[in-house]
Amino acid sequence: MKVESRVPETTRLRHAVQYHDGPDDLRDRAVAFARATVRMGERLALAVPDDVAEAVYSAVGHAGVVALVTPRGPSGGSGQTTAALRARELRSLVQSDAGVTVLAAHDPALDGFDGRYWTELDAALNLALDDLPVDMVCLYPGFPLHLEVLEGARANHPYELVDGALRENPRHRCPKEVLAERDPSTPQVLGPPDVSYRYNSWQLHEVRRMIARLAPTLGFDPVRAEDLVLAVNEVATNAVEHGSPQAEIQLWAMTGGLVCEVHDTGDLGEPLPGLVAPHPAEARGRGVWIARQLCDLLHVWRDAAGTHVRMHATP
Amino acid sequence: MNVRSADDLRAGDHACAVPVSDEGLWELTARFLACGLARGEKVVYFDDGTAEWVLDRLVEDRSPVRRALRSGQLQVVSADVTRGAFRSPLSDVRSLLHSYADGALAQGWNGFRMTGQQSYGALAPAGIPLTAYDAALDEVVAERSLTALCLYDHTHYTDAQIEELRGVHRAELATASAYDDGLLRITQTGQTSVRLAGEADHSNRPMIQRIIGETLDRSLRSAEAGSDIELNLASLRFLDVAGAVLLVHAAEEFPSSRRLLLTDVRPAVLRVLDRCGAPFAAQLVVREARVDPTPEEDA
Repeated sequence: MKVESRVPETTRLRHAVQYHDGPDDLRDRAVAFARATVRMGERLALAVPDDVAEAVYSAVGHAGVVALVTPRGPSGGSGQTTAALRARELRSLVQSDAGVTVLAAHDPALDGFDGRYWTELDAALNLALDDLPVDMVCLYPGFPLHLEVLEGARANHPYELVDGALRENPRHRCPKEVLAERDPSTPQVLGPPDVSYRYNSWQLHEVRRMIARLAPTLGFDPVRAEDLVLAVNEVATNAVEHGSPQAEIQLWAMTGGLVCEVHDTGDLGEPLPGLVAPHPAEARGRGVWIARQLCDLLHVWRDAAGTHVRMHATP
Repeated sequence: MNVRSADDLRAGDHACAVPVSDEGLWELTARFLACGLARGEKVVYFDDGTAEWVLDRLVEDRSPVRRALRSGQLQVVSADVTRGAFRSPLSDVRSLLHSYADGALAQGWNGFRMTGQQSYGALAPAGIPLTAYDAALDEVVAERSLTALCLYDHTHYTDAQIEELRGVHRAELATASAYDDGLLRITQTGQTSVRLAGEADHSNRPMIQRIIGETLDRSLRSAEAGSDIELNLASLRFLDVAGAVLLVHAAEEFPSSRRLLLTDVRPAVLRVLDRCGAPFAAQLVVREARVDPTPEEDA
């Protein structure tokens, strides 16, 4: 299919970092940036901790300001999931408008053990938002608790905002390189699964049947259940198509929905599949992208044993 | 007797069929029942857990199921009764069938035809083999000139049972398909039309590609063929993302004189197609399944 990108080069993502000296400085910088954005008549989207958001609202009001959602709880802690959600929200915002300015800020509550959440988030945003007319400034602490937060911020941002001007960041690296240098971001270990099933590509229908049977008992309505079957099928298919001939699926039935992991022993070429909106002419990569749209969490990680995907879906 | 399809069965025929897959079973059963409905016969399905699939397939085939159920022309006999028959002496079963056949004529129907899920009988719960019940049925078929189809599918019967039961039937229906792997069944419904039933995924995707290619070639070679290649998806219950992308790309690559028509598309399959760019493919026409599956009711 011959479809040209609708987004001219000049209006693609501009992803910049700005460093602050502590909570007070963070608030001051956030308010100053918000004021400047609103004064220029641009739409502002916020992804900042609550206290920073309050300071911004009391300075510029709510008009023209949108709050972006940050997944927490069982769907939280995955930078790539947050990035996929942010891409979805921003895509729908920019559809009706020329562009949007995003103000983001580091929140230590999301650091996890080591702050690697932020490195993955920014790397994933570089992929997921690449074709969107978005200006994004991320406020990071100059002296974070976890050094990784600072190192990730330095590597992931192509620009640095200094004294109101964008400067190219010579330390910027592409997402693949940034992630290749780091240990995989393994999610928190769950207990033993309720169901575990090894399958090959001739048994994908058994995988679908398991999900279709389980979904109604967990409160999924028929349409959502069909979408969940599709999402799991796509991840399960990917594992046996591009990973290893045999793969394993594990299911946890939770009060808040379904958690599902798919493990294969292969090596997925790309570290974060399904983040880039698929080009209509490109057959591959669409399955995981669609699965990401249908799940509350979809986290891919790779280690010596192979490629792993965790999904969490709520009814 | 040389019976080739369910459409050829007439009063006094007692045939068997051995479908290779569940989809083949639903297809054949629905076809047999629909023929009886069209001929104004009383049509009875002896259920044992499979009626829901058969009724769904009748709806997908656009047979006037609801009307026939309401008028009593189509009757689904409950699993209790079906199983009860196989625990009864042969004479009781014979009189049960007599009463069905006589009742149908008394109610003014043009005849009586029956099929169903008889696999419980293969367990011989009363110590009477299924072949004995089948012999009793054969007598009643001759006495009352009814039409009976016995279905022996691989899910419910062992290979040995199938061979034995096949041996006692004079006629066997052909269950031809272009492809059937037990998950996906593809049947040629016309020169340039194909029907898909079941589930299409990574394991059988190449077959869809092949069948589209073959049908397109046939259409291009034929002078009379219209401009559309039709894929009826009424019974396609699952289509994965790569399968949907395949359909979209196939249509894009058609010669400009041809279109790919997807008809009777179920809602879940429609959502996948929409997510894979189907609305933007110029030579792809997607028609969803009718929301009201029984438009004949108003006729």
